[in-house]
Amino acid sequence: MFNNRNPVDSLVQPVGLWVIPMSAVTKVWIDEGCITCDACENIVPEVFQVEDETCVIVDGVNPSEWGDDIIEAAEGCPVDVIMYEVAGADEEPAEESPAEVIEEAVAVAEEVSTASAGAGVLAELMSGDRDVHIFFGSQSGNAESLSAKWAKKASDYGLVGHVHDMDGFDIATMSGMKRVLIACSTWGEGDMPDNAEALYAAAKGAGKILSNTHFSVCALGDSSYEFFCESGKEWDQVMEEMGASRIHERVDCDVDYDAPSEAWMSIAMSKIACVDDSGTFQEDLLEAMISHASGDSSAAVAGDVASVAEPEIQVTATIFRYDSMTGETGADAWACSLPGHYSVLQLLRTLKSTQDGSLTFRDGANNDPTTGVCVNGRLVLPGMVRLSDIARDKGNGAQIRIEPLAAFDVIRDLAVDLSSYDKLRMSTKPWFVGGEREGSYASGVVMGTMDPVVATELHSSTNFESHYILHASSDAVPHNQSYIGPALVNHLWNRSCDPRISDKSRTAIIESLSDVNGVKAETDMASIRRQGTMGLAVSKSILQAKKAALAHDGYNGRHGKHVWWYTWSIKSSGKVNETTLYRTVLGPMGLASNALSGVSARMIFGFTRTGRPMINELLALVAPPAGIGKMPKQFNSKVENHHEVVSIFNEMDGRF
Amino acid sequence: MAMKYAYHPGNVAHSNALEVADTMPFAAESLGIELIPLDAATSCGAGILRQANEELQITLNARTLAIAESMGLDIITSCATTAGTLHEDLNNLRNDKQLLSKVNDILQRHCGLTLKCEINVHHLLHVIVDEIGLEKLADAVKNPFGFKIAGYYGPNIQQDGACGGDDIFDPDYLEQVISVLGGEPVQWSSKTQSVGVPGLFSEDKTVMKQTASVLSDAKSEGAQLVVSACNLSHMLLDVYQGKAGKVSGKKTKVPVIHLTEFLAFAFGHYIDRCAQLRTRVLVIGD
Repeated sequence: MFNNRNPVDSLVQPVGLWVIPMSAVTKVWIDEGCITCDACENIVPEVFQVEDETCVIVDGVNPSEWGDDIIEAAEGCPVDVIMYEVAGADEEPAEESPAEVIEEAVAVAEEVSTASAGAGVLAELMSGDRDVHIFFGSQSGNAESLSAKWAKKASDYGLVGHVHDMDGFDIATMSGMKRVLIACSTWGEGDMPDNAEALYAAAKGAGKILSNTHFSVCALGDSSYEFFCESGKEWDQVMEEMGASRIHERVDCDVDYDAPSEAWMSIAMSKIACVDDSGTFQEDLLEAMISHASGDSSAAVAGDVASVAEPEIQVTATIFRYDSMTGETGADAWACSLPGHYSVLQLLRTLKSTQDGSLTFRDGANNDPTTGVCVNGRLVLPGMVRLSDIARDKGNGAQIRIEPLAAFDVIRDLAVDLSSYDKLRMSTKPWFVGGEREGSYASGVVMGTMDPVVATELHSSTNFESHYILHASSDAVPHNQSYIGPALVNHLWNRSCDPRISDKSRTAIIESLSDVNGVKAETDMASIRRQGTMGLAVSKSILQAKKAALAHDGYNGRHGKHVWWYTWSIKSSGKVNETTLYRTVLGPMGLASNALSGVSARMIFGFTRTGRPMINELLALVAPPAGIGKMPKQFNSKVENHHEVVSIFNEMDGRF
Repeated sequence: MAMKYAYHPGNVAHSNALEVADTMPFAAESLGIELIPLDAATSCGAGILRQANEELQITLNARTLAIAESMGLDIITSCATTAGTLHEDLNNLRNDKQLLSKVNDILQRHCGLTLKCEINVHHLLHVIVDEIGLEKLADAVKNPFGFKIAGYYGPNIQQDGACGGDDIFDPDYLEQVISVLGGEPVQWSSKTQSVGVPGLFSEDKTVMKQTASVLSDAKSEGAQLVVSACNLSHMLLDVYQGKAGKVSGKKTKVPVIHLTEFLAFAFGHYIDRCAQLRTRVLVIGD
């Protein structure tokens, strides 16, 4: 009886023509260093096949058919080994879509903004010589790899990194250097690495030749040896003897050197980046430099350093802990005193490097979408929120509670397994299947057209900081692992609204959304809607997708009947009639289930819990258990001026 | 002088949450709130009606809002779902003049009403903390509770602009009220989590797990009693807690009452029901 109903909303129809693929990839290959993580194969198995040692490109694949997906896989590759070439990359960008143009325009605008920001505060510092020289004394390669890593990071601080092998270096050359960082390991019983011996010997007799040099040392060693980090200590001393100024205290790293060396680098590099062209350390610019390096240009835009750097705050950080080996869960709390402008990620790094090296979380760039955590109930990227903004003081000092995202299995502490999302994504076949469209000639080439409003909407509706966070915003996801979740529902709905896709693809998407694990599995959009601007936008998409799915099913099934009869009961009296819903939606089997599971009993005996009279209405004497305890009313009285409600219904939705 | 509000009872206070209908007037009286009944108000739609026709839901809610506005009153409700839904639709109308014009045209022709959007919607909890104040609340207490109590907000009032001066993600208004009423508030992380009311009839297995998750979290933190700020969620947390426990395998049995009952009992109304509740908590337990 429901099949003849008209859909509430027709699907969005194509509004423009499009013939040129957005990303015409002509060639794709895998560079050395693949870690076989499967991420690329999960995104586009038609192109990438992960084998035991490396990923390979599937034989015979035409990369131009999978342009967007290849680029997405390349961007998502954790070790950046997916390489590709785009047609016309060196030519005029005549074939870009409006959405891409907008995105690039925004990116350019942001770059200009950042550049002008830097010009506002750090411009003078950034001018002239900006070289930082990083020397490594390495026996096993650790110090060398760290040096290479720091040299890459130097650009974040407006520096140009130069890595020098100590072997064969002329100590006299160092005298012209304003900024020097040293990474040196210790070999055997306090011995200098082979490649550092000669330079160290030369440095000891060089005299005060580094009067215009600032330096800091990162020493690597093994605390199980008597002379722990001895070589690094010797370099720290000899640099001072040569007249260089120690800009940041040496760090002595044990075998697990990643975290302490990273923490040392972030501060040492910030400080050394504040050494200006004349070789003077501009200490008052340090906070601005830290902000600049972290990608926060807001202070510099304002031209006011004080607006970024905030005083230290006392905060108690309570962090969820889970040990996968023992299966124990709990929480550790640390009382910290940190600058208010520190991000939550910086807090975690500090705790790991100074308090508990076993603290586990996903580290990465500030906007790394995989780093999401829950902080004081908010789903955030920890690199993007400041302590002063998120800490709450309820009378017992500022508190920060950090927990893993609830939608995912916890690997350890705050690190969660994101593969469940990737598998769900794969199951939705999210790739783009274009339809045949007409084109038009413009400037000698075939061009597609699209309404710029549609293009912008399509682009912005999936342009979120982290799809993992969006996935975790649904309170239903943790309890239904098969549900594809709000991020994928949003993605699919967005794709179905794309005027470039084929009709067949659009139909398949709606069927996918109508599936039991599609949008109907979302139990409450309110939990998504509360997640700020992102949540509001996505909850609107999900509502549209749900309406389309219900219409696709002709309002049959429990989901459709629930919506249908709920609405019908409001028209009938202005109020909800639960009895109607129980009878029409659940049906005899559902009612029997409620009877057997104790729901009906708890309704009937509700008076024993509320203290109300057992009988609510006379119907209890005629047709019990209606009218007893918390059993819902069989018949509703109508709201005042009910005819107005009926009249509005009749005008706005004649189906009811 | 009493504060006057137009009272929307929510979706189920007339039916299977009659205890809310019983206790709200007494709670309001002790708080110095005069409730003016909105007898013509329809159901807010509870997130369901909009799945059939979003503009229809907005228009019906605009009618309710316009009726209260014509009385010169803001709306108060004890149901978080109703507060959240009315607030959301009012916000949509405020931000979309075209939509407001279309809705007003319909309201004018069918009801002779025009919504100016000068009205506000409040949940009882926010009126207590933001308007009345905790000192006055303390003055009204006659039967303080001595239990460990978990306050449940749900997600609907924890929206931007809908939760008064409370924090959206880490609220504590209920905890403040519980403390003033003599209880020991439990700190728990599930207090704003959805129990999935809109999916009760269609996704019951997931909803039962969501409900069990909330209840078991409250229990594991030592709660002897749960106080709900939402009529609909209250119904799930109470009536369905046995089924939720069976589906999830978690411990879910704990007395659940509504905020209005909690207030009325503490203010000395329904002393027989209050005594019965104390017996349940202290003697019967789970």
